Amino acid sequence: MPLIEALDPALYGSKAAGLGQALKDGLPVPPGVALTGSVVDAVASRDEQVMRQVMESVRPLGGPLAVRSSAVDEDSAEASFAGQHLTLLNVRSADELASALSEIWWSANSDSAITYRQRVGLFTRPSIGVVVQLLVTPETAGVMFTQNPVTGADERVIEASWGLGEAVVAGRVIPDHYRVDRAGNVLERTAGRKSIAFRSLPEGGTVEEEVAPELVDRLCLEEGQLAELSRLADRCEEVYGRARDIEWAIADGRLYLLQCRAVTTSGP
Amino acid sequence: MGAPIDVLKRIPLFAELDDNELERVASVFKERHFSEGETVIQQGSGAAAFFVIDSGEATVLVDGKEQRVLQPGDHFGEMALIDAGARTATVLASSELSCSGVTFWDFRPLVEENGVIGWKLLQTLIEIYRSERRQ
Repeated sequence: MPLIEALDPALYGSKAAGLGQALKDGLPVPPGVALTGSVVDAVASRDEQVMRQVMESVRPLGGPLAVRSSAVDEDSAEASFAGQHLTLLNVRSADELASALSEIWWSANSDSAITYRQRVGLFTRPSIGVVVQLLVTPETAGVMFTQNPVTGADERVIEASWGLGEAVVAGRVIPDHYRVDRAGNVLERTAGRKSIAFRSLPEGGTVEEEVAPELVDRLCLEEGQLAELSRLADRCEEVYGRARDIEWAIADGRLYLLQCRAVTTSGP
Repeated sequence: MGAPIDVLKRIPLFAELDDNELERVASVFKERHFSEGETVIQQGSGAAAFFVIDSGEATVLVDGKEQRVLQPGDHFGEMALIDAGARTATVLASSELSCSGVTFWDFRPLVEENGVIGWKLLQTLIEIYRSERRQ
C-alpha cells in the first residue's frame, strides 16, 4: 500500500499512519510503502508469493531503502515500544529487504519485547507493520521541537549534526543547538562537537565515520535552512497541533520530514 | 520455510507426534539469524520462542558458568512454548548462528485448533514428569 493511503493505524501501525497522513497533507515525507502486520508475518515465514508482491510494491521507490517498524498496537497500549523495534537503513536488495522484514518481525517477538508486553498487560500476539521508504542520504539531519521541551517557551528548538540523524537520536554527538522564534528569527546558535557521522555504505548498512576536524565545531545549518525548518514547524503544527517532536533531514539541498509525533516531555 | 522434520522428531516434547502433525508444527517456524557474540536468550528473562539450530554454534551458560556447546540440530527453549515463563539458561551465539524458531503466540493456536496434537503433548509432558520423579 502506498504510504499516502496507509491511514489506518490498526492495519499499518501508528508510524505508517502518521507518515501517510503527513504525505496527504503535503508535508515533505520521502516516498514509501506501508506493509501490514500480516504481510510482515508472511515474509518472515518466507511466503514466496507475498515476498514477490512486496518486491513489486517497493520497486517503484528505487533505492536504497530505509525499513522502519510500525507497531500496530503501540497507541492502544498507551505504552511506548520505542527501542523494542527496529529501523534498518540502506537496504539495497530483495534479499536484504526480506532479511530486514524478518529481523523486524523477530524484534517484536523477542524475549525482551514479550516480557515488556506482559509487564504492561498486553497478552495478545504482537503485530508489527513496516514502513519502507526511499533512504535519504543527508548532508545534515537532526530533531526539532516546535515548542521548547525544557522551558516550555514558545520557540523552536533544533538540534543538528552531519550525516544521518541517528548520530543525534542515539546521542552519539553533541549536536548544534539552535533556537528560533515563531517569526523565524534565530535566537541562539551554539555549535556542538560533532566528531562522528553515520553514513550509508554502497554495499548496504551504515558506517560511523570520523568528521573532518574543521567541521567538528562548525555550525551545520545556514540561515536559509533554519528558515525552512521554521516553516516546516509551522506546517506540522497547522496539521497536527502544537508541541511536536520532529525528525528531519536535508539531502541534496532538500528538507525532508522523517517523523512527527507529540512531544512526550514538557517544560514547567 | 519451516524447521526440518527429522530434527523435530528428536525433540522429546514432540516424540508422540506423527509426520503429518510434525509438518504442521514445522510450518509455523521462522528463520532467525544471530551475529557472533549476540545473546540469543537470557537467563531470567521472559521467554518468547523455542529454537532449533540450523547452522553455527551456541554456548549455554547457567549462572554465568558454561554448560555445553550447541550445534546444528540441537534445540533449546521448548518450555517457552507452553508457559512463556522465565528462561533457565543463557544462550550466546559463539559463531554466526542461524536458527528456526517458533513463538508461544504461533504455537498456542496450533495446539488450540488441533486437540490431537494437544493431547499428545500432554501425554508426553506427563511422561517426562514421571521419568523425572523416578530419578
